Amino acid sequence: MLSEERNIESVALSGRETGRLTDPDIRDEFGLETMDMNMGPQHPAMHGLLRLILELDGETVVRCDPVMGYLHRCQEKIAENRMYPAVIPLTDRLDYFANMHNEHGYCLAVEDLLEAEIPPRAEHIRVLMSELMRLASHIPSIGFLLLELGAFTPILYSFRERERIQNIFEAVTGARMMYHYIRIGGVKADLPPGMEDQIWEYIEGLEQRFTRDFVDLIAGNEIFVSRTRDIGKMSPEKALEMGLTGPPLRCTGVDFDVRRDYPYSIYDELDFDVITDDAGDVEASYRVRIGECLQSIRLIKQLLERMPEGEVMGKVGRRVRPPEGEGFSRIESPRGEFAVHIVSDGSDTPYRVHYRDPSFANMQLLQEIVPGHYLPDIMPIMGLIDPVSGGWDK
Amino acid sequence: MAVRLPEGALEDRLERYLEGFRNRHGLEESEVVGNTVRLLVSPEAVPAVLTTAREELGVLHLSYVTVVDRMGSFEITYELADLRGGQVRVKAVVEGEEPVIGTVTHIYPTANWHEREAYDMFGVAFAGHPDLRRVYMWQDHFDHHPLLKSFEINTRRTFEGLR
Repeated sequence: MLSEERNIESVALSGRETGRLTDPDIRDEFGLETMDMNMGPQHPAMHGLLRLILELDGETVVRCDPVMGYLHRCQEKIAENRMYPAVIPLTDRLDYFANMHNEHGYCLAVEDLLEAEIPPRAEHIRVLMSELMRLASHIPSIGFLLLELGAFTPILYSFRERERIQNIFEAVTGARMMYHYIRIGGVKADLPPGMEDQIWEYIEGLEQRFTRDFVDLIAGNEIFVSRTRDIGKMSPEKALEMGLTGPPLRCTGVDFDVRRDYPYSIYDELDFDVITDDAGDVEASYRVRIGECLQSIRLIKQLLERMPEGEVMGKVGRRVRPPEGEGFSRIESPRGEFAVHIVSDGSDTPYRVHYRDPSFANMQLLQEIVPGHYLPDIMPIMGLIDPVSGGWDK
Repeated sequence: MAVRLPEGALEDRLERYLEGFRNRHGLEESEVVGNTVRLLVSPEAVPAVLTTAREELGVLHLSYVTVVDRMGSFEITYELADLRGGQVRVKAVVEGEEPVIGTVTHIYPTANWHEREAYDMFGVAFAGHPDLRRVYMWQDHFDHHPLLKSFEINTRRTFEGLR
């Protein structure tokens, strides 16, 4: 109800399409002008270092121009001057909320060049880690969305879960954030003894807590609904045009998931659903993320049940020297499609590495859908896209 | 759902794409490898080929645009996906030190930032691009394109020419 009234009000005040006051006469009569404003780069709600140049008409945004590059490290250039295995720790620093996915994507691209065979146990551990990472990324992103809307409790609950998943990662990989765990040809080390039971126990507990902490607490809340319903609304055509992938695309109803449509590792043997929603607004993206968390839990259980025994490292020499050619990979990171393109000239170092980071492509949305919204609506829209600074800046 | 994604078996679809491209354009090379249709086209033909891909063959997603500096020529790759298992990889080779190629932003609006990135990193000029600014590097006082092979990693050189 609340949101409907608000919508009518906002349409009456301003043209939703342009964001400008509908009647230019009123503007001229009272001498109203638009105002330029900087949001960021040091802004708590900007998910890192992002500067938005906003043109405001009252409190309505007329133009939004993202300025990036505050965290740019030119990862691609550094990678050109390093040996193949030494690039893996750099990929950790790309999208630092999806480290495992970056490592996985890079290793898949190198293995595509090498035509290496990966032992089944290593594949299972890789996918297991990716799905845990997805939980450790989706749950905090729900928390961030709510934090930016002024609710403090969900971020505490979500970081409680993230901490526990990080404890698992610490036990498996030795690090809490920058893992360097997935290697060319397999993974660094086998799971420590008793780890499978520990993960199972944690996942069981999470499944029981999940609905209580992240759905019942948030979903029907009137303030949450009024701040997110019909905010950032977009059509599936628009979403595809803008090159969106991941939850922002699926919340418009387009049924696309790299894990199912371009299966890599062992995803084609696993059983999971692709979650979509038709509304295409911030609330829908929240529902999609909730659904994907539950699917990840389902995938982790399947993986633990069918985890085979055996080696965790394939027969790839210590010295990685792929033949001349190009290697490609495409994986589903929590934010969307993460693609790696490696060109080899037959030497120890890559000739060219290109990362297609989902945060970068998804952020183009800001230019398109923010105009016409109120200034405070930028926070939920950032929550819809959920970009990560290390990702868009490479 | 209003958007129609391609249907049918993957092999048939790839054949259809390949035929579609071959019938409409003079291609330098074209083949199907795995789930990918690989095309090598002349730089002038890129917008036309991508228009065919989107409007007639229904390949709706442009994944990324990337450039490889081959010291003297530039390879520009457009990675397209039909979102149902098929990929189309369009490659064009531009000769010369200062490459120019037509933009595809009017076909795939998402190419906007990918082309800006390519311009920033390689100095590839996309003719007709609506907003060709640098994405990452300083807009002023920085005349280099860092991913060119001629750009060496060297601190002094990086800050040369800054105020």
